[in-house]
Amino acid sequence: MRALAAAAALAAFLGAAGCGGGEGGTDVRLRVVAPDNNIRVEGVECAGARPFEDVHAGTPFALEDGAGEVLAEGELPPGHAVNADPSIDWGVERIPTVCVFELQLEGVRERDGYALRLAGGPPLEFDAALLSPAEPLELVVP
Amino acid sequence: MAVRTHVALLALALALLLAGCSGGDGDEQSYGGAEGLPGPLPAGVEFAEPPASGVPAPEFAAELVDGTEVEAADLWADRPAVLLFTASWCETCRDVHRAVAEAVAEREGAVSLLAVVPEDDADAAAGYAEELELAYPVAVGTDRIWLDYAAREPPLAVLVAPGGMVLRGWPGGVGREALAEELDSLIVAGPGSRR
Repeated sequence: MRALAAAAALAAFLGAAGCGGGEGGTDVRLRVVAPDNNIRVEGVECAGARPFEDVHAGTPFALEDGAGEVLAEGELPPGHAVNADPSIDWGVERIPTVCVFELQLEGVRERDGYALRLAGGPPLEFDAALLSPAEPLELVVP
Repeated sequence: MAVRTHVALLALALALLLAGCSGGDGDEQSYGGAEGLPGPLPAGVEFAEPPASGVPAPEFAAELVDGTEVEAADLWADRPAVLLFTASWCETCRDVHRAVAEAVAEREGAVSLLAVVPEDDADAAAGYAEELELAYPVAVGTDRIWLDYAAREPPLAVLVAPGGMVLRGWPGGVGREALAEELDSLIVAGPGSRR
């Protein structure tokens, strides 16, 4: 019984270390936007439409620091369609949308700046100062 | 006695294992390949006159997940064809694909169905077909094919009339009932006809 508890404690410790990099770390909340302006019903599951077809559920991502060290990695979840221009009353169900992927990375080692790389593509750089616990930081795929 | 029991159990396990591995009678079920291509048009099936004008469906050749080459024009030569642009990583596509396959299956060979996945999805396409237990073919489509059909994002369903005229497309996919209605408006005699 004690051995089980010790193993569970060890697993919990290793799991936390894997997520947090062992230094406490910070939470990184991102909204990755594929600005594809595709016609969809708002809220439906989506993937980046051409020319953003490489951005979809399962696309590998890596969060790096300025020196290129990988601090977190994984795969994008499915995106969801968001009204491309809420200032317009489109008056129809299918409207121009962008595809948004939400990322929540917990316990990331703290750095002055980060870069998100999708499928080995060019880095989307941002300052740590822009991160907020209240609001995810929006990154637009170029 | 105990040894004999163990030997018997071992032999039974081995027999079960071998039967399991060989598929019993040697016929292994495969999905998404040539077996899903349509056979001859069932007797007695008739279609409405295709539209006199419209947009001709772009012709293309593509490889199915089992390596078989398919000519899209063969699929719509004598019956309506549904093209479904899909991808293994697209969750919505699974539901759409199942619904489309169901509507096509209900027409008992009067309609053909071809799914098209993007080139970079080729490795996962066979697994996708197997997961869905698809009785219809899955092809790997080049960028050119996706562009020709203005397929910006999966799922996109396209209905092609017998002879090759595009009748309509459904960006975001189509449900079973909506597709069935369209198909039944084309079939004037045979399965699904409004006799």
